[in-house]
This record gives sequence, C-alpha cells and structure tokens, in this order.
Amino acid sequence: MDRFAELVIASVLLAGLYATMAYGLGLIYGVLRIVNLNHGGMIMAGAYAGWYLHSEYGIDPYLSLLPVAAVSFLLGIAMYRGLVHRLPRGAAGGVQSLLLLFGVWLVMRNVAYLLFTGNDQTLRTSYSTRAAVLAGALVSVNRVAVFAVALATLIILHILLTRTYLGKAIRAVAQNPDSCTLVGIRVERIYALTFGLGTALAAIAGLLGATLFPFNPSFGAGELLKSFVVVVLGGLGSVAGTAIAALILAAVEVFAILFIPAYLTAAVGFVLLVLVLVLRPGGLFGQRVLG
Amino acid sequence: MSAVLRADGLSKRFGGLKAVDNVSLTLDEGRILGLIGPNGAGKSTCFSMLAGSTSPTAGRVFLGDREITGLPAFRAARGGVVRTHQIVRPFANLTIFENAVVAAVQCSGLDHAGARALARETLEFAGLAARRNEYPAGLTLAGRKRLEMARALACAPKVLLLDEVIAGVNPAEAQEMVTLILRIRDERKVSIIMTEHVMAAVMRLCERVVVLDAGKLIAAGEPKEIVQNPEVIAAYLGKKHA
Amino acid sequence: MKLPLPPWVRPRALIALLATCAALALGPLLHSDVYIHNLLTLTFIGIAAALAWNWLGGYLGQVSFGHAAMFGLGGFVAAKAEISMGMPMVFAWCFGGVIAGLYALVWGHPTLRLRGPYFSIATIGVGEATRLVGTYWDWLTGGSSGTSLPMHPNLKFTLYWYALALAAVAMAASYALRRSSLGLALLAIKSDVDAASDVGVSSTRLQDLVLFLSGAMIGVCGASYGSYFSYIEPGDMFGFDRSISWVLMGVIGGIGTIAGPALGAIIFVLLRQYLIASYPQLYLGLYGILLVLVILFEPLGLTGLSLRVLRRARPDLIVSGSET
Repeated sequence: MDRFAELVIASVLLAGLYATMAYGLGLIYGVLRIVNLNHGGMIMAGAYAGWYLHSEYGIDPYLSLLPVAAVSFLLGIAMYRGLVHRLPRGAAGGVQSLLLLFGVWLVMRNVAYLLFTGNDQTLRTSYSTRAAVLAGALVSVNRVAVFAVALATLIILHILLTRTYLGKAIRAVAQNPDSCTLVGIRVERIYALTFGLGTALAAIAGLLGATLFPFNPSFGAGELLKSFVVVVLGGLGSVAGTAIAALILAAVEVFAILFIPAYLTAAVGFVLLVLVLVLRPGGLFGQRVLG
Repeated sequence: MSAVLRADGLSKRFGGLKAVDNVSLTLDEGRILGLIGPNGAGKSTCFSMLAGSTSPTAGRVFLGDREITGLPAFRAARGGVVRTHQIVRPFANLTIFENAVVAAVQCSGLDHAGARALARETLEFAGLAARRNEYPAGLTLAGRKRLEMARALACAPKVLLLDEVIAGVNPAEAQEMVTLILRIRDERKVSIIMTEHVMAAVMRLCERVVVLDAGKLIAAGEPKEIVQNPEVIAAYLGKKHA
Repeated sequence: MKLPLPPWVRPRALIALLATCAALALGPLLHSDVYIHNLLTLTFIGIAAALAWNWLGGYLGQVSFGHAAMFGLGGFVAAKAEISMGMPMVFAWCFGGVIAGLYALVWGHPTLRLRGPYFSIATIGVGEATRLVGTYWDWLTGGSSGTSLPMHPNLKFTLYWYALALAAVAMAASYALRRSSLGLALLAIKSDVDAASDVGVSSTRLQDLVLFLSGAMIGVCGASYGSYFSYIEPGDMFGFDRSISWVLMGVIGGIGTIAGPALGAIIFVLLRQYLIASYPQLYLGLYGILLVLVILFEPLGLTGLSLRVLRRARPDLIVSGSET
C-alpha cells in the first residue's frame, strides 16, 4: 500500500477536526477581539460529555453531538454575560480577558478532575476499530465520520454567517461595532451569541476528538495551541482559509513522522505557532475580518 | 543661512504604490517650513521618513552635515529630529510631568536632576505646569496636543516635525497654538516643519511652503505665491477651478 | 555620613529592605523549626521568580506563559556545570542564569514585536516546545529519569541564606527597574511602543534587556531550586503549571507593581502548602477562582486592595499595553 497516499489521507481527515476546533476560537477573536483561553477547557468538556453520555446511557457519540452543542452554546452565553462582559474591551481588556478565561479554564479542569479523576479515558464504540479501504489506503471508519461531521459543521456555519440575518449581523459587528449600534443591531447580544457559538464549536471538536484520542482533564491544552496555529495561519473568518490552514498543520504534523523522532512531533505544532506569529506579525490574526 | 535639515530625492513605495516620489526639501535654520497637500498626498509618510520611523526606498536625509537616512526613530530623536503625531499619543499611564521626563532623560543627555528640570521648564513653557501631576486623560484635545508638543520639546530637538497640531481645536485655542509655535521657533531656536490643513495658520507661520500631491512635490515657495499657483488649486479643488 | 545614593532611591525603602533582610537572616538563629526554615527557603525562591516574571509581565505588560522554559534550562545547565565541570555552586547558578537569559533573548527578541495576547500565545508555544525537547534531551536533563545533584552536608539548611540573598537582589532590581529613569521608559513602552521610540526611547534594546534580566533571574531561581531538592526532572522543571504559578503570583499580588508579586508569591506558597496538605484535589480550581475574582474586582490584586484601603488612586498601574 502506498505510504504517501496513506499519509495524505490521514492529513486530510485530521484537518477536518482541526478546522472545526480552530473556527470557534477564530470566530470569537474576530468578533469580540478576545482570545478565549478557555477554548481548551470547552474542548475537554465536550470530550467528557460525549464519553459520559456513551458510557452511562449508551448514547452514540454522534447522536449526542447536537444536545452537547446546544448546552455548550448556552454555557458560552452564560460565561459571556456573567464574566467576559464585565471587562473593558480593546487594548486594556486584552490581557485581562485572557487571564480571566484562563482562570475559568483552571476551574473547569479541576471540576473534571473531581468528577472523573485524572485518569486517561477513551471513548470506544462498536465501530471504533473498523476500517475500510479508501483510494488504496486502509482508513478508519470513525475518522471518516469525524471528517464528515466536521465538514458538515463548517458548511452549516458558512451558510449561517453568509446567508442569515444573524450571520450578517455578526459579520457587521466584527467590522465595526459602533456603526452597528447606529443601525439598531444589539451589539451586546451579538457578542453573547458569538461567544456561545464559538464555545459550542469547541465542545463539538472536543467530542469528535474524544472518539479518536484518549483524554484527561488536561485535554485541550495542545488542541488550543493547534487552534491558534490554524487561526494565525488562515486568517479570520474565511472558511476556506481555515480549511487550508488546518490542512497545512495536519500535513506538517503527519509528515513530520517521516523526518523527526516520533516523540518530537508534538513540538512541531508549537514551533510552527511561534514561527507563524513572528513571521506574520502584521497579518497576525489576518486583517481580513469574517468573509 | 544654513540648512539644518535636508532631504534629497526621498521616495517610498508600498508594494506597487508610490506613497512618496522623489521629494527633496530643505529646512533653513530658524525657519518654519509648511508641508501641505490634500489627504493622502504622502505628508505623513514624508514625516515618518524624516523622523526615522520609516526608512525610505530611495533618497537621503541630512541633519546638518550628518546623514540620518534610515536611522531608527530613537536615534533620530536623540540626534535632534523629533516628531509629533496627528492623532496624539500620550503615555496614558504616566503623569504629564513624567511624559516630559521620559523624553528629556532619553534625548537630552542630562542626568536625572537635569532632565527633570528641563521637563519642568518645558511644561511651563507650554502652559501645562499647573497640571503636571495629572494624567493625560484629563486634558482636552488642545491640552493633549500641547502635551504632544511639550514632550517633543523636552527632547531638546534641533528640528521639530509638527503633524497637524492645529486642526481640530477651537479658534481661540488655535490662536494660542500659533503663538506657541512662534515662541518655539524664536525662544527655543528650534526649526520646524509642519503639516497643516488650517491654511490661515500656514499663512501666518510659514516662510516657505512645499506642496505634495499624490506623492510628488508640485510646488514650493512663499505661502502667498503658493495659494495663487494653478497647479496647487487644481490639486485641492480639481482641474476646473484652476 | 551621607551615602552616595542615586536620587531615585527613597531612603525609607532602602531601610525597609535592609531591615527585613536582616531580620530574616537572623531569624533561623532564634527558632529551630526545620519545616518553617525550609518553607521560607522555597518562599524566597518563589519571590525572586515572581518578581522576575513581573519585569516582563507587569513592567512591559507582556504576560508570559512560558517562563518555565528558562527556569528549567537554568536548573539543568547549572546542574550539568556542577556535575560535569565541577563548577562551584554559586558560579554554576550564575552560569545557568546567563544561559537561560540568552535563551530568553533567542526566542523573545523576535517575539516581543508581538504585543499583549499575541505575545502570551507565542510564549505558550515556546514553553511547551522547550518542555518536549527538554524531556528527550538526555545529555542535558537526564531525560524522564531526571538529574541528581551532588549532596553536600548541611547544604539545604544554608541554602536559606542564598535564597534570601536571591530574593533581596530581585527586590532591589524590581525597585531600580521601576523607580530609575529606566522605569519611566518601560512604562512608556508599555503604553505605546512607537511613540516611545519617537521621543528617544530605544524600545527594542530596553525590551531585550528586560527579557534577558527576567530570563536570567528565573534561570538562577531554577538552579537554586535544583540545589535545594538535589534532584530535578524535566517534566516538573519545564512544566506548564510552573509557568502558570508565576502568572498567578503576579496577578494575585498586583501585576506591574514593585512589591506586589512578592506578596503574591508568599500567599501562593503558603496557600499551596496548606491546600496540598488538606485539599490536594482542589488547589488548581481555587487558584482559578482567585484569578477570576482578582481580574473582575481588583485588577491590581492585593496591592490594589491595600491602595484602595489607603484611598490612593494609581492609574499609572492600571493602564495596560497597547495593541498593534
């Protein structure tokens, strides 16, 4: 079997998950100019939610996607109204909101630890180990399913942002909140909804990730950094940019196995993050805002 | 009369756009030179190149006999070329006095006590002494523009680049600002280049004016001649008025 | 006799520092409680590290989530120098510190062009990449089995005074960095890096200087920490939780203030000792709650709280860095 084709397919499938993961972070940054450090916490929460529903009630993780997303959406809105909303926005609030959300993340990790201990958990279903042949390569069925869900999520999101009134309002607020106030858009409400949306995306990504990787309360830290890489690389808001960036990151990680020792592949993402941040300081999170 | 600041063939490209195209100008000692032109003519880019915060694609800048082309901004400032910003940028976390002290310490080469004395004296000169222990947020726009100038003056510059310090303030304050600029020239012996949209002020202050349009220098001369110049009128108002 | 002091030194502050140090230096002669003695040693190291973190995070407003990279590097380089080259301990500490400071410059010089949140994110990447490399670099760190340092009789006891000296140096440096004319330049950079350059502040060079000092001091702290435990292990030394701890100390005590982080370090170390003993599974979350509360209600932490009690407003400390 062609090793190269196998790695390419692996990259593409992984990229779907990365794109979903990153989009939530990028959306919140693009609209609220806030770096949601609790992104990792929500990824972890999504993973545990899917695992708990499956192991306690036998619900298939793909069936629990919608309810988990809905609850996370509400949780995100609550977090915005209760905490983030109270901070000054803009330059002064940048570091403050970063630290605040970091505190929330610590609390969430601790809660997960108390509820589920610090042990690694895995979400195993009847199809977890099933594989199929795709383009001459042996591919896990579950990975394909993760990719399909991720793709569907991104497409729905794209339609939401470009075709609906809410989506247009979100994009308008990202461009210029003051003008939005003038034309009667309730900016605070858009902020809350956006925060909820980004939070829900993180939970979806976490749930999908749980079907692929073992996880514990610290799960989400690495994923947070990978999300940063994708957001920084791909610019804000454009689904295509995010997808390409996710593909680049996934490919770099997957192909790195060929060149460097396996235990260092995790460092590749971090190095890439720093390089991208340093080499593109102007176009950092992209000057382009949503669409 | 000797030239204190001289620019030869300054050009700046941003990608395909020529923001400034082959501009030469000379500032004589003890004079005020006006740099005018419609919005987007390249005045601010010109300033940035003179003050060192942007390095030119081509051309050279001389302070007296010394070439200062492409020096980092802090070196240009220590050398004696200091700029102000059109949109004022006070250090919001420092008191008005400390704002001036930072500049004095870094540029003047004086010791701690000397720099503080210079800062105090500069604030008095600019009429801000009474509020020296307050924070800039409490000042009116005119006050903050004054602070912007005082902070630049505390650098003990040879050349001051003033970027639209009069636009946006009320007529009485504008009058005071004009007086202050004249005093900077006469009492401080500082030569000045200023950009300004308020033509009345330019007419009163500047001995010479150069006009930029679309990055090119289109006219130079005394203010009275300049306002009659058909090319200048065309640049501001369109061809049919010329 | 009049001491030739720089004009920005308040005699009162100098006397306070000297008196505190003298009292702490003589303290062990008055009590024989080994537990307290050792807890104080660790507290001193914590104070020095928290202050060093604050030079970057508070004075320049560049919050680092990756300072464990220099802590670990300083610790392992010093250990290596002591073991393989037979360097005396204090020299090894300084050597480790210099290497750590240089490492901070290597990643920090390009990264410091980023402001605020972007810088913080980059430091997470730097910290984690360093941890991974450190964990597998057997030659330097001994890999996951770690490195053991030579044991000297009585060393742990005498380290109290070394650690005290370290904390005193860090405190004096914090004071000097803030109160001297350099301090104003740093505040100007924090407020508006370009405008600072326009009035003659050599922003890049000053930021590099602070970065080096901060990294070097953290490196020395790592080295002294290694000497104290006489065994160090990369997962712990380079750990993300360690980087977080300095953020917490700084924020709890008062980010950007001169002595706040020292206060934060004391609270942090005491809290941890108490919490780990009583509620080992709760301490992370409690720190999280503390962080949230401080940010929401008192951005200047304990220092802000005490200033509020004394009814003194200090807007100079509140304004944080600009974004580009």
